[in-house]
Amino acid sequence: RHQSSQSTAVQEGLVAKTSLTSPPWPEVKLPDPAEEAKYHAEVVQKVNNMIAAGQYGRLFAVVHFASKQWKITSEDLIMMDNVLEAECGDRIRMEKVLLVGADDFTLIGRPLLGKELVRVEATVIEKTESWPKINVRFWRRHNYQKKKIITNPQTVLRINTIEIFPCLS
Amino acid sequence: MVLLSAPRWLRSRLSDRFWRVQEVLKYARHFRGRKNRCYKLAVRSVRRAFVKSTKARREKKRFLRALWITRIEAASLEHGLKYPAFISNLLKSQVELNRKMLADLAIYEPKTFKSLAALAQRRRQEGFLAALGDGKEPEGIFSRIVHHY
Repeated sequence: RHQSSQSTAVQEGLVAKTSLTSPPWPEVKLPDPAEEAKYHAEVVQKVNNMIAAGQYGRLFAVVHFASKQWKITSEDLIMMDNVLEAECGDRIRMEKVLLVGADDFTLIGRPLLGKELVRVEATVIEKTESWPKINVRFWRRHNYQKKKIITNPQTVLRINTIEIFPCLS
Repeated sequence: MVLLSAPRWLRSRLSDRFWRVQEVLKYARHFRGRKNRCYKLAVRSVRRAFVKSTKARREKKRFLRALWITRIEAASLEHGLKYPAFISNLLKSQVELNRKMLADLAIYEPKTFKSLAALAQRRRQEGFLAALGDGKEPEGIFSRIVHHY
């Protein structure tokens, strides 16, 4: 007949309070899930109505483009340090949008927002090379020196518009 | 008769020494002291400047990332969260904004950063609740009560 010391202690009364009886973080209580779901649905409906009515000022978006993240608004210039296979004057739609925000609301994507929700359009303006960057490696007293001049190709884009559509659920 | 080798009085001497020297001095014009005028001192300084700029281009990335982390830490402490909690909970909620973006949002979009901090805090609390589990004692093997019937 085996009996656990913990069960006898529970039968006797309170367990002794040690440093491991309660977790080191303060106790948290989450709100009621049903009420929370109702509140969330209300907020989503309100934001949807605001978007449909057009009650937002300037929109900003966080876009993942050319392996970098950019925070962009409309009429904004962006310079990438590589080649884009599009001619000057081509309109481009940027699809990987991580975040869109206005003054009163933000839409956070997990991790991306849907394509039917946001539309970011840009035009290719200029394709140039960067200023000549000089790479020099030199070890003293070892007769070792190398000099290389690098010019990276660059592309300049102008962000034309950021649009959002009221299809939240 | 055809002369096959050049006579001794014919020397080849540099005619564009001035421009070769200016090529180096143009990079030294903003230096301090005699090294912005005298070629012998300028050559050394310009070479060191180029080598330092080459190495600095690699360290700039590390330096900027540390700067962003400091800024995000300051902003999240304003909202009552520490940096490791903030970043880990944001990643667990599948928000993949990088540190440069988070630092920019903290500076220019404070309301958005506040909502991100609230999201991370809520995910943290849900994590704590999930870690606690049911609140019952785990079933042991040796501490099971064996009944003899």
